[in-house]
Amino acid sequence: MTKLVLNRRNTLQLLGGSAGALALPYIIRPLPSWAQSSVLNVTTYDKFLPQEFLDKFQKDSGIKVNVRLTDDQGKQYNLLAAEGANPSTDMVTVAGHRYSQFISSNLLQALDTGKIPNWKNLNPAYQNAPWAKVDGKLWGLPILAGYEGLAVNTNYVKDPQSWDVMFDPQFKGLTSYIVSDFMTITMQYLGFDGDFVSYTDKPEEALKATNAARDHLIKHKDMVRKYYDAGSEVQQMFINEDIYLGHAWSGPAAKLIADGHPIKLSVPKEGTYGFCYTLNVVNNAPNAENAYKLLDAILATPEVGASMQRQSGFASTISGVPEVLTDIERAAGTLPQEQVERIVFFSPVNRDMKNEMIDKATAEVKAA
Amino acid sequence: MASNSTLVRGGAMPAVAAPAYSTRLPALFNSGLYQSTLGALVSNKTTRMVLLAAVPIVWIVMMHIGPIYQMLKISLLSNYPIQHGRAPTFTFANYAIFFSEPLYFMPLIRSFVYATSATAVTLLVVYPVAYYVAKIVQPDRRSKALLLLLVPFWAGELIGTFSIIMLLANRGALNVFLRDIGMIDRPIPLLYTPFSLGFGLVYLISLYMLLPLYSAIDKIPKHLLDAAADLGAGPFTRFRRIVLPLSRDGIVSGCSLVFLTSIGVFATPMLLGGPTTVLFPETISGFFHGASDKWPVGAAFAMIMLVSALTTAAIFMRIVGGKSTRLM
Repeated sequence: MTKLVLNRRNTLQLLGGSAGALALPYIIRPLPSWAQSSVLNVTTYDKFLPQEFLDKFQKDSGIKVNVRLTDDQGKQYNLLAAEGANPSTDMVTVAGHRYSQFISSNLLQALDTGKIPNWKNLNPAYQNAPWAKVDGKLWGLPILAGYEGLAVNTNYVKDPQSWDVMFDPQFKGLTSYIVSDFMTITMQYLGFDGDFVSYTDKPEEALKATNAARDHLIKHKDMVRKYYDAGSEVQQMFINEDIYLGHAWSGPAAKLIADGHPIKLSVPKEGTYGFCYTLNVVNNAPNAENAYKLLDAILATPEVGASMQRQSGFASTISGVPEVLTDIERAAGTLPQEQVERIVFFSPVNRDMKNEMIDKATAEVKAA
Repeated sequence: MASNSTLVRGGAMPAVAAPAYSTRLPALFNSGLYQSTLGALVSNKTTRMVLLAAVPIVWIVMMHIGPIYQMLKISLLSNYPIQHGRAPTFTFANYAIFFSEPLYFMPLIRSFVYATSATAVTLLVVYPVAYYVAKIVQPDRRSKALLLLLVPFWAGELIGTFSIIMLLANRGALNVFLRDIGMIDRPIPLLYTPFSLGFGLVYLISLYMLLPLYSAIDKIPKHLLDAAADLGAGPFTRFRRIVLPLSRDGIVSGCSLVFLTSIGVFATPMLLGGPTTVLFPETISGFFHGASDKWPVGAAFAMIMLVSALTTAAIFMRIVGGKSTRLM
């Protein structure tokens, strides 16, 4: 092997080359968002913003939209909180019941509906919904609504009426759920308040209820095939028949139904919780004006809402969307009236206590 | 000797202009500024070594030690991300949580059990393969054989994991095959079990075992094996007395790499594991992803895992490895 002789020339060459290599990530990095005037950075869930809509918006407005995907409210909150006063995203997608956490941390700016000429096209039921207002102000544009449902493969499970079926030994190893979400449903199933609203200033009572649900889930751990995190995972498990039933957000389950899979989604007699996703402008957003242009474009026509509903499976909040959908698409997202009445929207009340206790109990269930 | 400005050969060739740098570089090197600054630094061999070492050291500090230091710092704070009106204080409470809550021991122990088992199984599976390529395959075909073994790893961890899902799912290739040949009526639940997790780990990390083993076995002189055979040593004796001891460095390196990789692996257990296979990295991620302000607890748990994994690897290297492979 040739011995390396370090003379002045090759020392300088090596130093120059190494410095160049070290500097490469800085040289080739994209321009920061604040350095560009026609850019919009959006953090949202997969399939929430249809590509054809984004393409048209970019063409019409000249604004380049960069989408960053998230799959969890907690992750989104933590990342935004870590960036503090210098956010790298202009918009986030917050579920209405999580508003208080984001707002108290000063992460969102109040929505100025005066900058959204098409605001009138939002379904009136969502324009002034009580959950959408904090401190008398609106904080986001409601785009998609959903609920925590019971999804079953109709080839193997016949029309369940109760969450009992999730603990039925004949389906041992054939169920699946998101632990933190199903914990609240289990609390409700066991007769407690899964949303913690009635436990304000009653931490002992809340802990007792949480621990009861936790112990119930640990006791029936053998029923579970897998704890999942993202909607795509439960879709995959249903398609592969790794599970026959499970807790699922209405969006991913409705998408399976619309695609022709033998899946049925229902709200059992014990009830469940509903939620609404909103698009929000981040506090200190570098491109806030562009964000308002996107919000207005979303509301411009029911076709956009229909496309969002088709892709995500969640129900659109925009007026006129049902008329645009096909019969199958409408049916996939429709529940009998008595089941609709069993849905209670998550409340923003007492969220800190709920987050604290549910997160801990979730870790305990997984670790057990 | 050619002049500074032109190169002329035998008078028949046309004159070619010398590149500009050939005149500018000497001028730069002879300039007073260069002589008194960079030139003075690189004229000394020791200084040259220090300057060259500085680049990789900066890289290691920035990309490896820096993030670990940041994680250590966060683990000692009372709250993080830092929020307006909530100044963090210095505390060891985040470490105390691990030792005061027995429930967190189980995922850590589980991680060690899976990592140790995966390391042992990977060694058993990969050793014969590495031996075959290094000693049985003809020398001119070894590169191709090694390349063939490496091809699956070009796809990346996630693609590999999803291919295992398609293989082991209830409606995956294996269950469909077994059903088609009449061996089963109902699918065997292979996915989301300890088996699928172990299978996935071994498959995805075997590369880290293959290369050190191949390198170590390849270096064993063939005449030693021939001499042992001439003296009457059977295949097993030759393996036990010659191949195994001389490939020890490869075994130690491969096992350490596989163990340290598999104990921290995150995506594979999330995608292939079931409710009884939740490992410590998933527990840690829960603190970062959860809605609560728990980054410091997650950081403390990450430091605990880092220290315990490095300690285990170091002890293994000290016991099994030679002096050349010791960490401490």
